[in-house]
Amino acid sequence: MIATRQAWWFALARIAGVVLLGLLVGLALGRIYLGLALVLTAALTWQLLNLFRLDYWLRDRGARDPPDAGGVWGDVITQVVRLHRRKRFHKQRLLRVFRELRHSTAAMPDGVVVLNDQLEIIWFNRMAGRLLSLKRKADLGIRVTNLVRDPEFLRYLQQGDFTEPLVVRLSAGAGLSLSFQVVPYSSNQRLMLVRDVSRQVALESMRKEFVANASHELRSPLTVITGYLETLTQDEEMDPTLRAPLAEMRRQAERMNRIVRDLMELSRLDYSDEEVDGEAIDVRALASMLRKDVLARPGHPAVSLKLESGARLSGDEPEILSAFSNLVDNAAKYTPESGSIEIRWWVDPAGEGHFSVTDTGIGIAAEHLPRLTERFYRVDAGRSRATGGSGLGLAIVKHALQHHGARLEIVSQETVGSTFTCHFPARRILPPAEGGNIAAITVTDTALS
Amino acid sequence: METADLSHHISRRFNEDLERVRTKVLAMGGFVEAQLAKALTSLIEGDSSLGESVALDDLQVNGMEVLIDEECSRILATRSPAAGDLRVIVAIIKTITDLERIGDEGEKIGYIASRLATMERPENKYREIKHLGRIVSEMVHDALDAFARMDAEGALRVARQDRVVDEEYEAIHRQCITFMMEDPRAIRRALDVMWVVRSLERIGDHAKNICEYVIYMVHGKDVRHTKLEDVERDLQAAAPTNR
Repeated sequence: MIATRQAWWFALARIAGVVLLGLLVGLALGRIYLGLALVLTAALTWQLLNLFRLDYWLRDRGARDPPDAGGVWGDVITQVVRLHRRKRFHKQRLLRVFRELRHSTAAMPDGVVVLNDQLEIIWFNRMAGRLLSLKRKADLGIRVTNLVRDPEFLRYLQQGDFTEPLVVRLSAGAGLSLSFQVVPYSSNQRLMLVRDVSRQVALESMRKEFVANASHELRSPLTVITGYLETLTQDEEMDPTLRAPLAEMRRQAERMNRIVRDLMELSRLDYSDEEVDGEAIDVRALASMLRKDVLARPGHPAVSLKLESGARLSGDEPEILSAFSNLVDNAAKYTPESGSIEIRWWVDPAGEGHFSVTDTGIGIAAEHLPRLTERFYRVDAGRSRATGGSGLGLAIVKHALQHHGARLEIVSQETVGSTFTCHFPARRILPPAEGGNIAAITVTDTALS
Repeated sequence: METADLSHHISRRFNEDLERVRTKVLAMGGFVEAQLAKALTSLIEGDSSLGESVALDDLQVNGMEVLIDEECSRILATRSPAAGDLRVIVAIIKTITDLERIGDEGEKIGYIASRLATMERPENKYREIKHLGRIVSEMVHDALDAFARMDAEGALRVARQDRVVDEEYEAIHRQCITFMMEDPRAIRRALDVMWVVRSLERIGDHAKNICEYVIYMVHGKDVRHTKLEDVERDLQAAAPTNR
């Protein structure tokens, strides 16, 4: 700073010197103004020359060294050079970071596509190019839906809900199963992640096939075994010491039968994740029937109905029946004779339907709740086997509800009881049948009745 | 200044309109592709319900064709496009007709597949149809890709594939005749197979047509009923002036 000020003072002094020189020359020539003009013109030319050199150098910097000039001009040039160097340094650093970033995204094992709000492709990495057969430069700026034309993919992009990834089997090329996930990351750009899930899809379908085949294959030998056991237990001439073991064998065979039946039911439900279309189901009739089933059991608890709505449900009747009956069965199994069960069906103001089964049974500890719908998960192995469950009931409920866009909610407290509620979306709820009873039906009974 | 702005505005709107129609055409193409894939799967895996669903869904293809047709007429009437834009519209109108026909052929295959599913399946599990089906599906896919990318060279490549399809068609034809002579009980099935193969061959032709429209759209050259070699030479001669 001080050096600069000095340079400016020096420049000022030089101007004064020049003027003085001009005066002297003028005096010598006898014409003051002419001398002054001559000298000032020379000084101005020098300045212009420096300016020209600076301009010339700025035009193609880097190609040559900065001009060599003293005084104020030298200062200015040094500043420009310094500025320029700093800028170049920053630019290079930025470029390096950018390049590294791009290399790392390009090397990612998942496909990445950057889209703008018009769904046009802005950038994609190598993997995305390979999975979606995009061409390196030619496909930039083309709408992704023009190149990936699968109808399901189009629907996924249009509906705008990207919480769940979409898995699609593309018909073109090698027939890969791809999972798409869209992440909107700024107001007008979104990131699309593409993953090859062909292996997982193949494994999953193998698993499903295995369960379906195994349960099917187990059925015929089991039928033979139960058949013979039945005959043997009824045989009058049977050795009395064998009676008890035979009866136990028959019970276990029955249980195995139930497990196989449940497995088959589950693998049928498992077959597709798509929502089913539906016929109208009269929930009230269904609930009354389930109540009668419980009342037919020996040592049953009290069962009350609280059917507040006459609305019907749109869905697959066998699936809904198996879901509801599993819930009611469970309640009956784990509720003592002195307890009670309440079956409730109501439609809330938002139009959603709810079917709940509440019991005053033994309840479930909180730590078991999240895993309850897993296959073969047992809260208490001994207890559940004693009641003859297959361990698949709630898994069946969960899958059947998924087919209807519904979900299962479980609230429970040990020793107090549990409530299992099925929440159905409004689109599944149909108005009551013509001439049907609209008023609420309430049936209560006590354990003694 | 104001008029320039206005014309710019109009042309931008016009471009958007055009782009939207193109996107719709490709969405329709995607649907038709999926239909074809499903029809082939139902045939090869003997899934009669899938075949029926394909036959039913063809209605949607028809609906899309009508919708795009209307939109094109509207653009022609209100914007009176010229030069390249006009070619795009003309090509679109022709393309959707061919796409609709592909959909119809797919419907036919689906229908026959649901019928064949109830019959005894041949030992090779329709391997030859699977093979031809793959070539034809790829042709449709690549033709639509060329349409999306405005890629005349790619279109030409696809059009050349049609010869392979024709050869394959001829081979299966002979094979079917042999089957029928060997075992008259197989005639019914062989006839159905012939229908499917015929449909596939037709689909190949439609895909080739679409490629010709792409070339027309890009280069303004009508290459129908022209030998492919001539087209190629013409395009190479035309290329420098186009760049």
